[in-house]
Amino acid sequence: MSLLIESKKLKRTGYLPAFLAGGFLAAVFPVVYMMVKSEEMTVLSGNPINLLMAANWQMMAMLNILISICGACMMYHTEYADNGMQKMSVLPIRQGNMFFGKFLIATLVLSIMVVIEMAVLVGCAKYWFPNYVFDLTEILKTTGFQIVIMLPTVMLMLVIASACKNMWVSLGIGVIFVFTLSIFPNDVLSLFPFASPYQILSVAMENSRSTLFLAVCGIETVVFGIAEVLYLKLRRCFE
Amino acid sequence: MNIIETQDLTKTYGDFTAVSHLNLHIRKGSVYGFLGPNGAGKSTTMKMFLGLTQPTEGRFHIDGKTYPSDRVSILKEVGSFIEAPAFYGNLTGEENLEIIRKILGLPKNCVDDALKLVGLTEFRKRLARKYSLGMKQRLGLAGALIGRPPILILDEPTNGLDPVGIHEIRTLIRSLPQKYDCTVLVSSHLLAEVELMADDIGILNHGHLLFEGTMEELKISARAAGFPTDNLEDTFLAMIDEDNHRRGGTV
Repeated sequence: MSLLIESKKLKRTGYLPAFLAGGFLAAVFPVVYMMVKSEEMTVLSGNPINLLMAANWQMMAMLNILISICGACMMYHTEYADNGMQKMSVLPIRQGNMFFGKFLIATLVLSIMVVIEMAVLVGCAKYWFPNYVFDLTEILKTTGFQIVIMLPTVMLMLVIASACKNMWVSLGIGVIFVFTLSIFPNDVLSLFPFASPYQILSVAMENSRSTLFLAVCGIETVVFGIAEVLYLKLRRCFE
Repeated sequence: MNIIETQDLTKTYGDFTAVSHLNLHIRKGSVYGFLGPNGAGKSTTMKMFLGLTQPTEGRFHIDGKTYPSDRVSILKEVGSFIEAPAFYGNLTGEENLEIIRKILGLPKNCVDDALKLVGLTEFRKRLARKYSLGMKQRLGLAGALIGRPPILILDEPTNGLDPVGIHEIRTLIRSLPQKYDCTVLVSSHLLAEVELMADDIGILNHGHLLFEGTMEELKISARAAGFPTDNLEDTFLAMIDEDNHRRGGTV
């Protein structure tokens, strides 16, 4: 129910086209990269998907994060711009359900983006690496991992957007987070939102950190979700 | 029988008391005019009824239900319009009402009914952000009236409407108790407007309830207090002025 209502609210906001365009734009990176550097890449040994991910994922992940930030801002801008949120507050609907409906939509469209990106990576591997053997399980694992490690970022960004009535404030906070966390790469910070999406499954497995990443990202997502519910209760008390 | 009752309802913001020990009694099936100058505490009181702001002290009951434990159940019974029209500008008038209909679990024909009640049927497919101020006001009212709830809380519903629109909305509000067995709490700072549609009135100033009763009772009370009674606007102004002087201000 919440999902249906929240998706209706996004009509004509450009939300879905923005995500699809972002997905396709991110997917263009490995294609262009291979067109330019195919000779260097094809002589490397290793799984072609891992090679392609190592070469392109940083850029693709950054695009995914930026699109998620814009998406969260768009979602709450439609709520605050013409007081739609105030109308929702006087209807028998829980604000928490609205928030989780938005989170579910953001996760779904992000998943579509990652699937598009993975499909293009597979296409690149097949086209430029003749010996590449398609392994569905490996692709599903990689896709799932990349989606799960994005979840804390999506959730935190929605929390920030829900707290800021001015879209530019939440957008600014999101962008500051992206650049702050990307210039301090270290093992601990990589577990935090806005930094975790840059991780790659193959590298995490090599360092035996894939389970750690999945667990920490899962916990962070739940914690931010609980924080939002508490925030909504507190906000009501101070209004 | 009172459908809305408050007991010592108070709201303070730091040092400022917006509503002070308010005791309202709103009869079921009546139009209750909530009157007071700007900043008197009318909107704050209505916001408390809708759970948009927490009371600092006191409590209230709506249709036998208590806030905050029955908040969601209260909201199911109350249609409201607070301060300014609230809508999604990227959606059409019809789509806005469709969202409210889905949340309230109402049948599909309720949207058409609400649009017809406020005279927006012709503009149902237009984006809400492209509506004129009066049309936005009507859309807000349609959002409150959809499903014909038993209680309506309307905060200055005729703001921004042209004289014809004001007359239409006033007539509509006046007719609601008879037509749909509905109770209406409507605020205004215009006595003439309230006089034309309310059965009972409550006059609020600086968060204090100065008077509560019927229009006749207001006249009797004003006469007894030595206020002018020829013109109700003069009565209202004299009451407010006297209260302001008593509080040591002239606002």
